[in-house]
Amino acid sequence: MILKLNHLQGKSAASTAQDVIGTIYKLLEEGHIDQHQFACLQIELDWIQYKQNFREVVIATQGYNQSGDQVPLMDVHVDTRQVVPGCLRAELLRAIARTQPEHQQRDRLPLEDFRSLRHSIVWEFNKLYWSRLKDWEQATGKGYEEALPGGVSDGHQPEAIADAVESFWNLLQELEAKNQLPPEIFLLEIGVGTGTRCGLWLTKFRDLDQSRGTNYYPKLRILLGDYSLATLDISRPAVKEHVDLCSFLVLDAVNPLKTLSFLRHKILQVHSTNVYDNLPDEEVIRRDGHLYFVQVRAYLPMAEVARLATEFDLAPDRVRPMIHRILAGGFDDLGTHARGVCFWQEVWKAMRLEERLVQVEDLPDFPFPDGLDASKLEDILQEAPSDFRFHLSSGALESFVNTLPLLHPRGYLQVQDIFVTDLNQYRVGFYGPGKLDGSLLNWVNGALLKEVAERAGYNVHFEPFRYRKGSRTSVLYTTRRE
Amino acid sequence: MNLPLLPTAIVGSYAMPGWLERLKTDYFARRISRHDLDEIYDAASKAAIKDQEIAGLDIVTDGEPRRDNMVDYFLERLPGVQIDRSSKKFYYDFYDSVVQGKLPMASLGLAQDFRFLQTFTERAAKFCITGPHCLTKRIRNQFYPSEEALATDIAKVMNLELKALVKAGARLIQIDEPYFSGFPEDLSWAVKVLNTLVDGVDARISVHICYGNRYGKPSWEGSYRYLFPAILDAKVHQLTLEFARRGGEDLDLFKEFPSSFELGLGVIDVKIHDIETPEMVASHIRKALEVMPAEKIFVLTDCGCFHLPRDVAFAKMQAMVEGTKIVRKELGKS
Repeated sequence: MILKLNHLQGKSAASTAQDVIGTIYKLLEEGHIDQHQFACLQIELDWIQYKQNFREVVIATQGYNQSGDQVPLMDVHVDTRQVVPGCLRAELLRAIARTQPEHQQRDRLPLEDFRSLRHSIVWEFNKLYWSRLKDWEQATGKGYEEALPGGVSDGHQPEAIADAVESFWNLLQELEAKNQLPPEIFLLEIGVGTGTRCGLWLTKFRDLDQSRGTNYYPKLRILLGDYSLATLDISRPAVKEHVDLCSFLVLDAVNPLKTLSFLRHKILQVHSTNVYDNLPDEEVIRRDGHLYFVQVRAYLPMAEVARLATEFDLAPDRVRPMIHRILAGGFDDLGTHARGVCFWQEVWKAMRLEERLVQVEDLPDFPFPDGLDASKLEDILQEAPSDFRFHLSSGALESFVNTLPLLHPRGYLQVQDIFVTDLNQYRVGFYGPGKLDGSLLNWVNGALLKEVAERAGYNVHFEPFRYRKGSRTSVLYTTRRE
Repeated sequence: MNLPLLPTAIVGSYAMPGWLERLKTDYFARRISRHDLDEIYDAASKAAIKDQEIAGLDIVTDGEPRRDNMVDYFLERLPGVQIDRSSKKFYYDFYDSVVQGKLPMASLGLAQDFRFLQTFTERAAKFCITGPHCLTKRIRNQFYPSEEALATDIAKVMNLELKALVKAGARLIQIDEPYFSGFPEDLSWAVKVLNTLVDGVDARISVHICYGNRYGKPSWEGSYRYLFPAILDAKVHQLTLEFARRGGEDLDLFKEFPSSFELGLGVIDVKIHDIETPEMVASHIRKALEVMPAEKIFVLTDCGCFHLPRDVAFAKMQAMVEGTKIVRKELGKS
């Protein structure tokens, strides 16, 4: 057995680690785990960063080949924060038992079949959240930014905005000096949030432009893009002083090019804050020279199903159909709209993800996200740890490669988000998915973006966000690769 | 040379297949030998020639599969340029190149590539070289007093090479100078260097000036207006420019600045994968006919097809040929 210890919580988890070892040996001696299983076990603790997530205290993940037969690989993850003294043995037993083919899933209600995380129902919930944000906020009485891990968006820091404005103005100066200033200066914000950043940026830029006597401000064309019409509406008041320069576009962050292909090679600045971490993701494990794709299945614990049924006056077998009704926007099916919203929130709170590992036997035929293929992944993995779990960051990667063609030859992309900037950081821990109010949060594999960018003609740099102490975000920015 | 009205061709490179990229990388990683790589290049080049013929192009190139990029292939061969061969991570990257002394006059051996092309096609063959201005921009100059001085010596060496190409049978030679658009301030001396390069070279010479195609994207934006009137002093037969991606606005420059130049008219956007329709191609040609007689127009891609998937590049070439046929028919020359 391999025991992998992380020290993520800033406090000693030694006692839990000792408890885990003792319990596993005991289960072995008592015959609950056989020698063969024991030899294939890899136990990892602690591995979850977010307090709110989709995991049980202990999860056991079994390996399968592509034919669906089990292979000798089992990962067990322990969330030490959730461990209650005395519960470990039962949780371990339960988790391992669930991996057995003969095990009947009587303690949970699956909401889907096993599938790639990016195609999981959790993303439908995420989409619903952004499209019905007002409903959620009304029910909770707090804005979505308050639900962020830091309680505030780093995108609004005035000093950061001032620096960004200054550097953009400098770029315009350089272009003008070379007689290459475009008649219209396009900027794109992907994921507009409350619109606060855009509003602050524009005001700052206008002031700077006026004070320096240049006349760039009227040439600005600001594209505010978001897939949620509700969010675009929310952002409008924040830019009201500059609204003549602004266009509000419903846009899929995963493929901005689809909406904006007419601006290919025309946009001088693309910016986003905390968008990549909220795009559909997939996960891959590298172990013993093989790659395993992580498949997930969303479920509700049966105890939660019973609770929901009672609370919302439903037969237990009506809970799953009602979830699908809610996802289709049928909030009124539970009597009142508010009750429907409440059901949605309760389901989200209760939802969990189980997972299994499926060996990737034919890498070239793997359904890679846009921008990645087998040879690129192999190149990237050459410098990576031999045994680790990583994000494929499919949504972020696709957004990235589908944004780069929009950039003007002198344009750049700036993304403020939570990045893994070096694959070796995965040795220390794996982050996500986290469960926020109604939405998901994943760390983004910046190291992968960096490699993909190089093949697309850009160098990618990461700078820790220095404007707020304790911020976990970094700023990715691109420079043209010669 | 017997060419039809509105002859069709690609600018230089054909699609670089993913498998060839991997094999190039395998060579750098010493997993395959130089001999094997050369055989692979030969096969890829023959395939590129055949694809151009099947698509119906009137003028063909060798597809340039041997070139990692438009610079290194020449700098590796240019005597006196020192290359740091450890400076590449990926085959398409540029080497770090430096000049620390006067360039000696010696052959680059390009005629061999032209002979290969000629062996495998009976169509008119075009050979493309990267021009001295572009090469100069990729060299760290630690010897010459100016970029112009370095570029002039490169032009002198390459002038001999062009003459060797002519001796080998080359009649259509294209000089690629995309960096003109990035450094318009160099144009006055860059044209002089260009004239040194082509001095006494008995071939139909075109100069290809685009806005860059590195990684399949433009490196600069602007208008071809910067070329005029300085480019009128260039002793070349043809200007080969991109119009499909940028639109035909700059065609009016040929009206404003009359010259004896032929026009290499870019009608295929090589930076997108959408396939042009023949009618779109025809429309580009018709627009050019407003400023230039048909006898002086060559129908081309905007730039090399290096970054296009093979099937896309092939379909674009077919569209170019079909579109040209439409206009030839309209002109009564089909």
